[in-house]
Amino acid sequence: MSGTPTKYPGLNPIPPDFVREHPPLAEVVEDLCIACDRCPPICFFDALIMEDRPKHRYRRTAVVIADNCTGCGLCFEACPVDAIIWVPDTSHVGIERHPMTQPREEDHDL
Amino acid sequence: MGLETSFLHMRLQSPLLVASGPASHDVNQVRLAEEQKIGGIVLKTACSDAYAHMRFWPRPRYKLLDWDKQVGGRSKNFTLYSYEQGYSGTLQEYWDFISACKQHAHVPVIGSIFAGEAKDWEDLARHVEDSGADAVELDISSPHRPGSLDFETTFVAAIKAVVEAVKIPVLVKIAAGPDVQHQSIVAEACGASAVTLCNRIRGFDVDVETQRPILHGYFAGIGGPWSKYYVFRHLAGSAQVIKIPICATGGIMSGEDVIKCVLLGATAVQILSVIMVNGWESIARINNEVLEYMERKGIATLEEIRGNALKNMTHPDEIIRWSGEPKKGPRNVWNAH
Repeated sequence: MSGTPTKYPGLNPIPPDFVREHPPLAEVVEDLCIACDRCPPICFFDALIMEDRPKHRYRRTAVVIADNCTGCGLCFEACPVDAIIWVPDTSHVGIERHPMTQPREEDHDL
Repeated sequence: MGLETSFLHMRLQSPLLVASGPASHDVNQVRLAEEQKIGGIVLKTACSDAYAHMRFWPRPRYKLLDWDKQVGGRSKNFTLYSYEQGYSGTLQEYWDFISACKQHAHVPVIGSIFAGEAKDWEDLARHVEDSGADAVELDISSPHRPGSLDFETTFVAAIKAVVEAVKIPVLVKIAAGPDVQHQSIVAEACGASAVTLCNRIRGFDVDVETQRPILHGYFAGIGGPWSKYYVFRHLAGSAQVIKIPICATGGIMSGEDVIKCVLLGATAVQILSVIMVNGWESIARINNEVLEYMERKGIATLEEIRGNALKNMTHPDEIIRWSGEPKKGPRNVWNAH
């Protein structure tokens, strides 16, 4: 189903095993960011800040602080230009998982 | 003239409370809410160990459907589709969280719990009290609860056990549905100090392109500005039959909505999704809108107008129906014109 335009385009390119292995984490594609300031206020986890980028066409860009991001999806919803994408969160590698959070066969993609 | 409200022996500087959820899972959010002159804070719901998996949040867990995406806190339409579940830490971390909030907060802090067995409810409520919370809210209607727990057995026993066990006020949070009025009466009879109407209910949505349910493929809690209409309806239904105070919640977006809740008998009003979508400034904006109304109407306290709209409600039997002779229009004649 990848390549099919949908209402939530960013969710489709995630391969099924992506979620099974690693939880998703938000990341800003800085080239796409239009520095509209919508995502920092909607984040309840202080995971989004605006940073100066002198060479960026808008001189600024949103940046995700990976340590704070809980992958909740609100910034993803707020972004008007789909500049926020999902990337694998590898910070959980090696940490013991609760039984209910173990990868399961029947888990599907988003 | 002022917004000061007396709710369950607590003096609130405003009738607005932050509802249990992502705007009350972190001690620093207490300051953000207080800066906007919030009346009190209901903390994120903690689950008993039997539901420990609810502490692990799915990612992502929110969708904002049909959102008008206005900037600067001016959004008026959206549906918040959420599968967030409970407080993300252990129970010990939750007790520490309550203590930390109490240490820094200048407004009342209300703990919120969810469990299965009555003894777990009781145990959690005792800890909430010992941690210093000003009240405890029983989230018997969590839209994220696993399986189906029966109100008449599980929750009635839980409310009774908790009321017996703690001295702080006990709020019971009831979800919209056909039984709200009955459940309010039962909660009052069981000794609850207040009821919170109404919790989010479960909804569902499908993506037509992929032909699959959105997010995780399972029912999620839904709420949004549209839900205020059934909140008003349930307020009106319950306020006339119970004497304990009512805390309204669900879809409250503006000062006008708050006034409507008060006119229908609510004492306090919980807000959350408006903060999520329009920012913390929404609290101060709603406070100001309520004050403007009070000034315009010459009202000193909200107590003066509480329940006023209820007095003018009609019984269905009293609704005036037109009883004249039938109109002469050619109602059964096809293509008469």
